[in-house]
Parts: sequence; structure tokens; C-alpha cells
Amino acid sequence: MNAISDKRMMVVWLALSAITLTQLGVGSVDGGQALRPNAALTAGAIGIALFKVRVIIREFMEVRHAPVLLGRLTDLWLALAGASLLGCYLVGTV
Amino acid sequence: MTTAAKAQHRFVPGQPDMWAFVLFEALVFTAYFVVYVVCRTRSLDLFLQSQAHLDLRVGVFHTLVLLASSWFVARCVQAARERSFRAALTNAYLTMLFGFVFLVSKVLEWAAKLDEGFGFTTDEFFSFYYFLTAIHFLHLLIGFVALGIAVHQLWSPARRSQELVETCATYWHTIDFLWVLIFALLYVMR
Repeated sequence: MNAISDKRMMVVWLALSAITLTQLGVGSVDGGQALRPNAALTAGAIGIALFKVRVIIREFMEVRHAPVLLGRLTDLWLALAGASLLGCYLVGTV
Repeated sequence: MTTAAKAQHRFVPGQPDMWAFVLFEALVFTAYFVVYVVCRTRSLDLFLQSQAHLDLRVGVFHTLVLLASSWFVARCVQAARERSFRAALTNAYLTMLFGFVFLVSKVLEWAAKLDEGFGFTTDEFFSFYYFLTAIHFLHLLIGFVALGIAVHQLWSPARRSQELVETCATYWHTIDFLWVLIFALLYVMR
């Protein structure tokens, strides 16, 4: 297997896994009490998830090598998902 | 490399029809997620109380397992492209293995929740929890059919369609990134 692409994929996988592991720390923000609303944490969770999805699409699904239109369509969906999820949450809770 | 040369080297991984399906699925799941967030903001206390019964560590484990499976299927595509079919098959089997670990772990999580008395009709949060995880589970089962097709292609020198292998991998990655969003909405957000 091509050493450069294999190493790049491994770095991507390690980075995605490391980001996921940092989310374990989120469990302690409520101090072991009942969960409380937290707009900053929610925005961060959704933002991190969309970032991870974009990395999966561009790196593992090879959209970075695909025609520009495909990259724009996937980015458009990510922007739409981010705006609608964060918008609905913030309008409903803040 | 010039812009024109770069454009010439660009390619759609797999069949374009699969990408149309991926974008359609992404939009359908986005609609589910928006309905979930709207319902959540209307009954925030109830959703937070019920969410506290989920184990974040299990969600993280599921995410790590699917990320690993995505990595292996990406390696499978690379190996097949370089005509290293033995390596491609090994990576396809590893993808299946991690997918299977996810399936078993998800069933165990459901069984534990049901044992604790949290069923589909317990409250609105658990209705969404079972709906979103079950529909994702169904997609994962279909993903095994896709992986089976990829293995069937890689097995015999008479077949080995790179386009089909890439198409199956594209579907598997879709299952992975949909789970990344489900994990954030069910386990992490507040």
C-alpha cells in the first residue's frame, strides 16, 4: 500500500479518535449531578461532530480528490445541518 | 500542477448514483435531527433527566469502533486500487469485525436500558433514542450487504471492479458519519 496515503489515513483516524476521547471529559462538567442545559457545550458538541464528519468525508471518502462540485455539495449540507441544529437549539433555549 | 491538470486528476469515488443516495440520506437524517432538537428544547428538563441514564463511555466506545471500521474500509479501497487484493480483503474483514462489535455492543446497550425499565414508550427522549439508534442499526445491517459485495468483488480475479468496491466503501463511511452526529445529539449535548 502507498506509504504516504497509508500514513495520512492513520493520522486522520488517530486525530478523529483523540477528539472523540476528549469528549469523555464532557461527562464531568455537570459535577456528577443531574445534567444541566449548557448552550456552549451543545454548540461545541455539534461543531466538533460536524468537523469530524467533514474530515471523514474529505479524507476517508476521498472528496478532496473529487470534482469541486461534490465538495461544495457536501459542504453545503454540513452548513445546512449546522445552521438548522444550532439555530433550533438556540432559538428554543436561549 | 496546473489547475487544468488538477481538474483532470479529480475523480468521483465509486458510482455517482451512490453519492446522490448519500446526500439524500444525509438530508433525511438532518430532518430527523432537527425534529429531535426542536422536541428537546420544548421539554429540556425531561430530555436532560433521561439523557443522564445513558452512559457516555458506551457512546464514545461505539464512535471509536465505527471510526476504526471507516479507517479499515478506506485502507481496503487504497489496497484494491494498488492491486494488493490480499491486503484489501484483510481490511474488508477487519471492517466487518468492527461493524460486528458495534452491532453486538449496541444490542447489549439496548438490553441494559430495557432491563433498567427504559423502553420506547418510557418518554419522548427514549422514543428518539430507540428510533435514531434503530434506524442507524438498520443502515449498518445493509452496510454488511455492501461489504459482502466488496468482498465478492475482491475475491475473484474475474471480477474486481474498483468502482464497486469504492461504492460499497462510500456507503459504509456514510453509516460512520451519521453515527458521529447521533452520538453528539443523544450522548453529549445539553
